[in-house]
Amino acid sequence: MVNENLVKDVVKEPYKYGFVTDIETEKIAKGLNEDIIRLISQKKEEPKFLLDFRLKAFKKWQKMKEPDWAGLGYKQIDYQDIIYYSAPKQKEKISSLDEVDPKLLETFDKLGIPLTEQKKLTNVAVDAVFDSVSIATTFREELAEHGVIFCSISEAVKNHSDLIEKYLGTVVPASDNYFAALNSAVFSDGSFVYIPKGVKCPMDLSSYFRINSGDSGQFERTLIIAEESSSVSYLEGCTAPMFDTNTLHAAVVELIALDDASIKYSTVQNWYAGDEEGIGGIFNFVTKRGKCLGKRSKISWSQVETGSAITWKYPSCLLLGEESIGEFYSVALTNNLQQADTGTKMIHIGPKTKSTIVSKGISAGNSINSYRGLVKIGTKATGSRNYSQCDSMLIGDQASANTFPYIKSQQPNSEIEHEASTCRISEDQLFYLQSRGIEFEEAVSMMVSGFCRDVFNQLPMEFAAEADKLLALKLEGSVG
Amino acid sequence: MEIIEKIKTNQSLDNLTEIQKICLDKLQSSPLPNPKSEQWRLSNKSKFSNFLNYSFNEKDPKFNTPFPNTSQNTIRLVIGDDCQINLIEKNYSIKQLSEDKLVKYLKEQISCFDQNENWSDLLNLSLNRKKNTLGLKINGSEIPPIEIFSHASSNSLNTKTLVIFLEKNCDIDLLQVNLGKYNSSLSQSTFICLEENSSLNHGVVSYGESKSNLLNSLNVIQQNNSEYNLGSLHFKFNFARFEIRIKQSEGNAKTNIKGMQITKKDEQISTYTKIDFHGPNGFLDQINKSLADDKSHAIFEGSIIVPKIAQKTDASQLSRNLLLSNLAQIDTKPQLEIIADDVKCKHGATISQLNEEELFYMRTRGITLREASKLQLSSYFQEIISFIPVSKDRWDLLDKLLNEN
Repeated sequence: MVNENLVKDVVKEPYKYGFVTDIETEKIAKGLNEDIIRLISQKKEEPKFLLDFRLKAFKKWQKMKEPDWAGLGYKQIDYQDIIYYSAPKQKEKISSLDEVDPKLLETFDKLGIPLTEQKKLTNVAVDAVFDSVSIATTFREELAEHGVIFCSISEAVKNHSDLIEKYLGTVVPASDNYFAALNSAVFSDGSFVYIPKGVKCPMDLSSYFRINSGDSGQFERTLIIAEESSSVSYLEGCTAPMFDTNTLHAAVVELIALDDASIKYSTVQNWYAGDEEGIGGIFNFVTKRGKCLGKRSKISWSQVETGSAITWKYPSCLLLGEESIGEFYSVALTNNLQQADTGTKMIHIGPKTKSTIVSKGISAGNSINSYRGLVKIGTKATGSRNYSQCDSMLIGDQASANTFPYIKSQQPNSEIEHEASTCRISEDQLFYLQSRGIEFEEAVSMMVSGFCRDVFNQLPMEFAAEADKLLALKLEGSVG
Repeated sequence: MEIIEKIKTNQSLDNLTEIQKICLDKLQSSPLPNPKSEQWRLSNKSKFSNFLNYSFNEKDPKFNTPFPNTSQNTIRLVIGDDCQINLIEKNYSIKQLSEDKLVKYLKEQISCFDQNENWSDLLNLSLNRKKNTLGLKINGSEIPPIEIFSHASSNSLNTKTLVIFLEKNCDIDLLQVNLGKYNSSLSQSTFICLEENSSLNHGVVSYGESKSNLLNSLNVIQQNNSEYNLGSLHFKFNFARFEIRIKQSEGNAKTNIKGMQITKKDEQISTYTKIDFHGPNGFLDQINKSLADDKSHAIFEGSIIVPKIAQKTDASQLSRNLLLSNLAQIDTKPQLEIIADDVKCKHGATISQLNEEELFYMRTRGITLREASKLQLSSYFQEIISFIPVSKDRWDLLDKLLNEN
């Protein structure tokens, strides 16, 4: 009954993360050109190889066209009207958390993210990213004892440039797509994780992304490398204030798993979705991809997508290593005028590779929620298997639920199974619950929660509870 | 622009029919389908350009069918050479559609055409003239089964158009046979309108020869309470596209589709279906099977569209595929686009090879691998073949398919 109480608590709440922190920030001029990229690189004191990487990506981006195949309807983005670097002003090098601006710590406290290590209620290490820069990373020493590197990507560029040079852009090359190229040119910060050989990361790692200013875009980059026989669970959360304008978020996440390594990447995305008339909200164009390089390696994506005005996101797995495994568990909820085009790509290249896709889409209001996925089994992927299940739930007769699975097989000795269904909240079930004294909205929340159970089971404990709360909150007033 | 030139060089512009002019106008703005569009993305470019390379042939080739002669209680029609029919019996009538009605209907259809989606129809109608067009108006009950043939001739591109109106309360079995010839292209466009309470059991068998190509499009409009059952089979074409577009214009209609395509050598056969529900209580049960062997490529793309008005729709779509060779490939993309909330919609897709356990079981019983594979294939084929009307008793389709193997 815990979930029900949680649902009750939040059902009447508005978007509670919509506040703006009044903090002095350092911003650079709007617009995008080579000079801006050089300036970002200079501010971050980056080595030459990274500046070259950025400039090369920028050149590619200039030649590319914004993709329109997803059929998402949004007003054209003026890429010259965006601030590409915005950072809270603070003292030069921070040696401990005490030196972080108290207002910043307050912001993360409001969001329920404990950055002060004294408040270690949960065994989770956090990297907090505020606009363009990483503010603080907790539990560093403890992680360092195990040889785990968990820091902002800017720090990693300075301290572990060999790893960055070796792996950055190897999973998502700059030329991969329009938004990946843009990110490669202007990415400001993000998280870096390195798990050495044979290490099981002693705690869950988490990054928290916060967009604070209305006119700056967020372009973070995450790179996770799991060496042989290592494992890590990584959580990601996102919020943003309420603005009338649309803010661009174009992130890139790259995961690399070597022999017998396992990476679990969970996201609860709750960017501001705009108001009921569709004004404001985040444009969320994200490229997430994992490479199972090693034998028996495993990458698992789980995501709960509830926010953003537009979501364009396909966390994917390249299954190269023999017997490697890719998983994708997703709940995407859209309400009002939100549009979500999300799904996954499972590319089976190595033999005996396996993938599982479970996607649950819930559309309410006037929203559009599409699953778009690709399962490809290449000629060498003998003995491979894929199972996909895509379920949609429709709430109201104005919302749209679409399923576009692309399936391609070139290997006879492999099996692909795909199934999709659409349903709505059954009146019989609703009646049953109500006849047992359960309030209407609560009953709906329970049913939605049940519909998403397969995916929630894959989320870390505290995320699962949060996800339940989020769904209830987002559906408020959309039923009946 | 080669296409436009081809049409212009083949016929003097003054002699073009009204329909031809409208279609030609539409083709002027996009002479070829957009290769990046979903409907054409996977089509083999060189095979498609090969399809268009043959010179247009209006003359009717000598008809020579590999299929059995007509039986007494079947009506056989061959499109071409001003094929005419005017049968008025006690219980039923099969009449030629009047020129006015034919033009009016086609004009209505063309006005809703999408340049990419209906490109095959635009090509067909811009090339085709009266003598290769058959328009029928069918009425009554206890109508004998009808067989309609379209056939190509070697070294040329032939176009055939069929328009059928099934009047109220009419119930009929129809088999359409498209025959490819060595080194030939055939463009077949069919338009069917099912009026209230009518029912059509429709079979489409497309049987090619080596290096034969086919663009086969089928446009069906179903009115209230109508039932449309389609069984289709496409095989032995170097390049073939089967486009099915069905619109349940008022809802309350039933559609059952069972289709199969078999590809060998380096053939490419694709099936595109679009089922549009424009009213409540629509029903669809669709299964599409593909078998790809050697270096061939089989494609299935099916979309189900359920707008807000189509409440209580019950639609299911299944794509089952057998991939039998390392060099063959299969693409499948079942799609659902749903807005109405009180609906039951589902789809599924599988790609696999012959079931090894079943093969092993049969071999332990002394059946050779070849025979065991044949047995499995025959059950795979049988579900579709038994759904094709008129054919199942006389045409030995199953034998044809199995012996091809």
